[in-house]
Amino acid sequence: MRNITFTLNGEKVTVETTLSRRLLDVIRIDLGLTGTKEGCGEGECGACQVYLDGKIVNSCLVPMSNVIGREVQTIEGFAKTKAYEKIEKAYIEEGAVQCGFCTPGMVMATNALLKDNAHPNSKEIKESLAGNICRCTGYQTIFKAVKKIADEEEK
Amino acid sequence: MLNHIRPKNVTELLEALDKQYYHVFAGGTDLMIRKRQWQGAERKFDKDIAFISHLDELNGIEETTDSYIIKTLVTQAEMTKSDILPEYLKTPFSQMANIAIRNIATVGGNVVNAATVGDSIPVLMALDAKLVLKNIYGERTLEIDEFIQGKYKTVKKDNEILEKIIIPKVEFDGYRYKKLGQRKAGILSKLSIFIVYKKDNDDLTDIRIAIGAVNEIPIRLKEEEKKLIETKDINRYLDKLSSAINSKDDNRSTKNYREQISKRLVRKYLEEIMQGGI
Repeated sequence: MRNITFTLNGEKVTVETTLSRRLLDVIRIDLGLTGTKEGCGEGECGACQVYLDGKIVNSCLVPMSNVIGREVQTIEGFAKTKAYEKIEKAYIEEGAVQCGFCTPGMVMATNALLKDNAHPNSKEIKESLAGNICRCTGYQTIFKAVKKIADEEEK
Repeated sequence: MLNHIRPKNVTELLEALDKQYYHVFAGGTDLMIRKRQWQGAERKFDKDIAFISHLDELNGIEETTDSYIIKTLVTQAEMTKSDILPEYLKTPFSQMANIAIRNIATVGGNVVNAATVGDSIPVLMALDAKLVLKNIYGERTLEIDEFIQGKYKTVKKDNEILEKIIIPKVEFDGYRYKKLGQRKAGILSKLSIFIVYKKDNDDLTDIRIAIGAVNEIPIRLKEEEKKLIETKDINRYLDKLSSAINSKDDNRSTKNYREQISKRLVRKYLEEIMQGGI
């Protein structure tokens, strides 16, 4: 065990844990932020996605050694931003949420796309969400929600 | 009790590796999955680990007059977004796994892991990449096909790390890349095909063809590439390719599918390339 310090949603945190422990477990168990979900545990489903130094990653694959001194943003932190409000509104209007388990990861992936590419086409949307699995919606409402934000940006 | 370490620099890492075995851990996108357990549990690592992802000395893409130099910790996403690298090198990396994985998975990890489905390996083989291995006593440079000996098998010694990959710069006139899997993204390849070539007017002057995820080690028939330039005989090349395929049926695909589809795709690409297309 050792003290590991990193920035979480803008605030410095120190946790007593091991180098090999998953970022996902530290976020959910030690720090009690349960917006980040565990789905497959092997990098396929994207339910555990967070930003690490601004880049989207699967927190189930990141050991704490790779987090030391770096910045992590979870859905709880991202939910306080203007970018989140736009995504939330579009997801609600298009019915892109059913059971909601994939939604935090899906929202994080949506923002990861839109911040680099404000006007993605359908192919780019699908590619960007390829690492996020949803078992309810059939994806079409999610694609529509993302397209809606992209189209509104254009106006 | 396992002893995981996080060396301060490369020298400290190499000293540690010289004293005892550590599993070198970069991005972890393979190791974290192979050692997975139930929710909330520690991954069940069975060997001591040396974490290296924070070592900036091992990170970065550079170019010299005749080569691209890819240090071991460069991620697949960084390959894709590089301003230095040519398209033929960026395209295959842009189709590996998915965005979130590409942000942490490293090029060095893909090579050292030496999985049959490592999509970077056929590409690096076609480009005659060289690997620089380093231990505390010095370094050695190997061709990638000397380095990879089989599925998960390389000639890397326990006290060595892969420091960097050197890719000779060649002004190719075109390339083809096709990765086939059960879905378009986030998938292990059933097979992948990478071709680069040079032409002088309509005459082929250089061609390299590598086929990944079929045999344990990607297939590249260097002698047959030369013959193909001399004779322009596609059928001959495809016959030699057939006899080189020793794939087995597995969870990803069957030998028959891989053989038929590799041959059809290679034929299609060679016909396009040799009939004056780009």
